Amino acid sequence: MGASSLFALLLAWIIFSGSVLAGETRELTLAGYSVPKEAYERTIIPAFQRQWKQRTGQEVRVRSSYGASGAQARAIIGGFDADVAVLSLEGDLDQITKAGLITHDWRTGPHKGMVSASVVALGVRKGNPKGIKGWEDLARPGVEVLYPNPKTSGGAMWDVVAIYGAGLKLAEQQAGAGKKPSPESAEAFATSLLKRIQKNVKVMDKSGRESVTTFERGVGDVIVTYENELLPRIKSHRPYELIVPQETVWIENPAALIDKHVDRHHVRDIAEAFVAFLHSEEAQAAFTELGFRPIGQAAGQPSAGAALPLPTKLFTIADLGGWETISTKLFGPRGAWTSTVEDLARGK
Amino acid sequence: MTTHTLLQLALRSAAVGYVALLILFPLVAIAHQSFVGGIDHFIQDISTPQASSALILTLESAFITTVINAIFGTLSAIVLVRYEFPGRWFLNALVDLPFAIPTLVTGLMIAAIYGPTTILGTWLQQGGVSVLYDKPGIVLAMLFVTMPFTIRSLQPVLMELERDQEEAAFSLGASPWTTFWKVTVPSVLPGLLTGVFLTFVRALGEFGSIVIVAGNIPMKTQVASVYVYGEIESYNPQGATSVSVFILLISFLVLVLLERLTRPPGERMPPWLRWPKRPLSMIRPSEIG
Repeated sequence: MGASSLFALLLAWIIFSGSVLAGETRELTLAGYSVPKEAYERTIIPAFQRQWKQRTGQEVRVRSSYGASGAQARAIIGGFDADVAVLSLEGDLDQITKAGLITHDWRTGPHKGMVSASVVALGVRKGNPKGIKGWEDLARPGVEVLYPNPKTSGGAMWDVVAIYGAGLKLAEQQAGAGKKPSPESAEAFATSLLKRIQKNVKVMDKSGRESVTTFERGVGDVIVTYENELLPRIKSHRPYELIVPQETVWIENPAALIDKHVDRHHVRDIAEAFVAFLHSEEAQAAFTELGFRPIGQAAGQPSAGAALPLPTKLFTIADLGGWETISTKLFGPRGAWTSTVEDLARGK
Repeated sequence: MTTHTLLQLALRSAAVGYVALLILFPLVAIAHQSFVGGIDHFIQDISTPQASSALILTLESAFITTVINAIFGTLSAIVLVRYEFPGRWFLNALVDLPFAIPTLVTGLMIAAIYGPTTILGTWLQQGGVSVLYDKPGIVLAMLFVTMPFTIRSLQPVLMELERDQEEAAFSLGASPWTTFWKVTVPSVLPGLLTGVFLTFVRALGEFGSIVIVAGNIPMKTQVASVYVYGEIESYNPQGATSVSVFILLISFLVLVLLERLTRPPGERMPPWLRWPKRPLSMIRPSEIG
């Protein structure tokens, strides 16, 4: 390296650190789950940077990391000092809250702190050779089903919740018009549907992404996953088809700023603006582009460009009693899913 | 103190410090974590239906892997040491490769061969044999990652073994089988045992490749390491560490046993680990055919 280039480098460094000192370039650290990475990197972050520059004249550098939702939550609890967390499950944000890092009530924001939405859907092979239409078809003998393990994948928790909730809806349907089945019989039917489908599950991968990889390797007839995992792939001509069952669950993914970290980094203003920006039309359009549904669609607010029809018997986590109730009911030590896998292994 | 003893002391504490820092302290930390809730909690954690069946499946698969690896590893080592053939150098270089490949990639490789769309996979499926996403897949993954152990621990002892001992037995009239069993095997036993035990211990902890090639269905095709991962992911670190510590305890016992079996009788060891003095085994005249 010549003396002149060394000098140039030194000069650049001085200018750079000067601009940092002058408060012109500021930094925001984002911890996200991996699925919406493309939307953030390609559209949302650059758009936010432009908007912030326009509003304040400051440059924002966004350092982002993506990974499994639960792993990100654990990293943050363990010391990863992200300013904003964008995760797939409310429960993961709750864990960060429990660790004392989020001190505000993140659920009070617009859409209760949720920034992206989707539904649980089914992917089948091109031409739908097994004639899959709804959940009952997944329970037919000879149909191989894929979804990841709910112990390791937030996506799989949504999948199992969708099956169980669909079972409750189907029980109503079976009871006949106008009649309501007793809660016990509806739950019994939902558990039996879950068990009959779980019996056909061939592989339980670590994550939703891996499950899709396994499906693309040729394993299984049906994959249960987020609609937004399937849509972009089908758009890019992968040989499978999307089926949205009429009974399925509305998925919402939360985002929140992490109080302890934003205060230490003095970036509360940016972090608040960033979370608010995620609700903007521009950010929502970026999510939709990636196969997500516009947030608030379930609440009946028609959004621009909402081309995806809503399933007729859509239900939400709140309809099932909230995450706390449903995760004990399904995934607790005596939960429906837990006892289902244990019973199946014992040949019951 | 002379400089010599000072140097000795420094070297010793460096060795002890290195092992303690890298292995002992983390081990103590994780053991502490799993016993925080008391021994009852530990037993409860490892005896839940899902944990205990994952442990049983792991031990079972590791055992099968060890037996297969011992047989074919020994054969491969003998062939690689004793027989000159074209391409031997290449095969020899290939043996260590499983150590270098990230185990996740190992899993992908196995899936790429036995997957349902491949020739082999289709053929197996037609025959009604399930390898991938079933128990044979687990053993296959364990075999792949542990393959070098037996071969690499046997090779040096086989090379050192003087051919003339075998030739002497042979010329005294021992059959090839007796020679192999009474001369070759005892001489290479420490190497073989090292390979076998390391295989077993390494197979117990394998995660990366198994998580890809096994079905991971609880109580059916889920091994202990995958179970541990699941418990960590679902915010149950206590349950995860208990199962890990159980696996570690078994590994440690196996390694202590190995230490006892392979150390020469003169080694300074705690009394419970010491060999009773005994004469070297001899070929009895009756065994000479």
